[in-house]
Amino acid sequence: MFSAISLHNLRKLYGAKAAVDGLDLEVPRGSFFGFLGPNGAGKTTTIRMLMGLAPPTSGTIELLNLPMPERALEVKGKIGLVPDESLLFDHLTGLEFTEFVGRMYGLARPKARERSKELLALFELDGDPRKLIGDYSKGMRKRVAMAAALIHRPELFLLDEPFEGVDAVGARLMKEILLEQVRHGATVFLTSHVLEVVERLCDRVAIIHEGKLVLTGTMAELRTGSETLEDVFVRVVGADRPAESLDWL
Amino acid sequence: MWNQARAIVWAQWKTVRNHIPRSNKAALIFSGVLLAVWYAGFGFLALLAGFFLAKPDEVEFVHRVLPTVLLICLLYWQVIPILMASTGSALDIKKLLVYPIPHRELFTLEVLLRVSTGVEMLLLLAGAGVGLLLNPRVPFWAPWTLAFFVAFNLLCSAGIRDLLARLLARKRVREITTLLFVLAAALPQLMLLGGFQKQLRRVFSSEASPLWLWTAAARLAQGEFSWSNAAVVLAWTAAAYFFGRWQFERGLAFDFAEAAAKSAPRGRTASRLDWFYRLPNAVLPDPLAALIEKELRFLSRAPRFRLVFLMGFSFGILIWFPMAFGGQGRTAHSLVGDNYLTFVSVYALLLLSDSLFWNVFGFDRSAAQVYFLVPVKISTVLVGKNLTAAIFVLLDISAVALVCILLRLPITGLRVLEALAVTLVITTFLVAIGNISSLYNPRGVNPVKSFRTAAGARMQAMLMLLFPVSLAPVALAYLARYAFESEWAFFGVLLFGAALAGVAYWFSMESAVKAAERRKEQIIQALSQGDGLIQS
Repeated sequence: MFSAISLHNLRKLYGAKAAVDGLDLEVPRGSFFGFLGPNGAGKTTTIRMLMGLAPPTSGTIELLNLPMPERALEVKGKIGLVPDESLLFDHLTGLEFTEFVGRMYGLARPKARERSKELLALFELDGDPRKLIGDYSKGMRKRVAMAAALIHRPELFLLDEPFEGVDAVGARLMKEILLEQVRHGATVFLTSHVLEVVERLCDRVAIIHEGKLVLTGTMAELRTGSETLEDVFVRVVGADRPAESLDWL
Repeated sequence: MWNQARAIVWAQWKTVRNHIPRSNKAALIFSGVLLAVWYAGFGFLALLAGFFLAKPDEVEFVHRVLPTVLLICLLYWQVIPILMASTGSALDIKKLLVYPIPHRELFTLEVLLRVSTGVEMLLLLAGAGVGLLLNPRVPFWAPWTLAFFVAFNLLCSAGIRDLLARLLARKRVREITTLLFVLAAALPQLMLLGGFQKQLRRVFSSEASPLWLWTAAARLAQGEFSWSNAAVVLAWTAAAYFFGRWQFERGLAFDFAEAAAKSAPRGRTASRLDWFYRLPNAVLPDPLAALIEKELRFLSRAPRFRLVFLMGFSFGILIWFPMAFGGQGRTAHSLVGDNYLTFVSVYALLLLSDSLFWNVFGFDRSAAQVYFLVPVKISTVLVGKNLTAAIFVLLDISAVALVCILLRLPITGLRVLEALAVTLVITTFLVAIGNISSLYNPRGVNPVKSFRTAAGARMQAMLMLLFPVSLAPVALAYLARYAFESEWAFFGVLLFGAALAGVAYWFSMESAVKAAERRKEQIIQALSQGDGLIQS
């Protein structure tokens, strides 16, 4: 099987605590892969390691059959990112930001500008061309990040909560674009807390809990009977905690 | 090739251009005028240097002073940013690391950004270079060799910055690093005290070893070519390149989150300090007590604040010590010696000013909007922040006094009282000015970054203008003591200064409260904005 992402015994320690603890994961090429887990499970740390922002303590990472960090430059050129918001530039307009990202991926300036205009029109961000990203709403920030992720037609998308704060129309558009990219052979690796969205979009899912992989497989393999993905998730991460009532509330 | 580097520069230019129309015009003009005055001063010095070096009959003089001038340039470029806890502009590597940019392009940009910590020296060197070019007794090629000296400084500064950034990311290592830098910065002063005047004077003179960069570079710049001089300059520049590149690569691979997690406080330490955080509750009612407690907890945990607080008494004591007591014993009388505690305390204020006075909402960043949402008056919030500032200033002065007592320096109770009174009067003026500047020119500050990224010159220029204003009443008090030779005159005038400071504080509070209401939206927006590609 040709893997888009291949992780072997990946570990990341923060002090004595393991944020990611011996993660083995194969994401097949051309799949729409959902990476799930409760808060603090290690999803963002994993994505940060895939992006090259945090070096793993041990273990190996291969993206598109290229080892990281040895072939980092080559790998990064083939990846589209929707990172957390801190990686956006608040003082640039949407057009300037997407053009900048295009040029970072090696597009010539006129080409980057042309594609930026088209993408912003597609994501309905071309209304006020002088508006700075710092003045965007949360949903608009996610949309501009998605536009920037598409500009160089990547083979692999790493998306951290891409639909967070996006309105229904924008989310529908983003989903359609991503599904179209997968149909054309791209791979999507996304984290999300909206399990209904993951259930509808993803063909494969992995659930991580306390840094360890607790479940992985196709959607059909995971669900038994009439179980929803939410039922599976709650069952696997053991969320049936004692409900302590607060007298004053 | 270099497309991405050009794109980064283009995006940064756009960032600056987009920011200007939205920023506070008055603050922008004020800061522009300050910078213009500051650089005009160095421009004048550069002109003087050029004028002297262009004279054919001053060759002997130039031969004597040029190595010393180059050594001072080197020290200014490398040491002043550390003393001011400000590292100048730098690439926001975290935002750029996700893109396929070759490291050599990032490194080149990072090195060029080091110009921001030595613009003054570049002006001086440019003036010197032009002067030497115009000098008919200096060969045409010679002044151009100063470019190697500049390259050495840029590369060395880049390496030191990356090294510091990593060392200061770890809590316990940070304190040791600070202490080591204190010792390194104070080394010339300690050498003077330790009877090494002769050796030190030799390093600063034209007789210094030809193996030193500044000596070899000065000789080459005057046209005294020799293979050994050329080899020395090239070797130092190459060493700086390898040091800079090595540190840069290590910085790229460094995980700041991991380092922070490794040095997170343990339970015991946290509970030991808890009594200190809760002290305001014993004497003040809520919400003021809660606000001060929050500030105490927050600032004590902010690496940036911890560093300047530590530097306040450690750097201050070492730097002023030789000037106060150098070579004459601890009982000798001198202006600095007689007022040692006051000098050190005012220096500590200077370092703390950026965190405690000028930009009091900076560390809160977007969370500052909470102050506008909760049912608490903004004046109460400001008073809370100002009282916290006073508590930390008192702690710093107490630490200075304690160290002085431990070192058995001639510090009397009256001197401690004097330092305390002087510092509190200046602090009141500073918080009065700071409350206004915090609301008219707020900017988000990352508390995790130990060193300021703001260009050192802007900070130095700010201090040059605002500190003298705050110091004026205190200076009058010292003048009264000198004129009337009376402690009563001193404390009398100081009391008058304190009253003036109180009035200034009252007026500034009125104005700040009105500004907070009027500029609420701009303040929240300004504090919420992130950095560009280059943090400046």
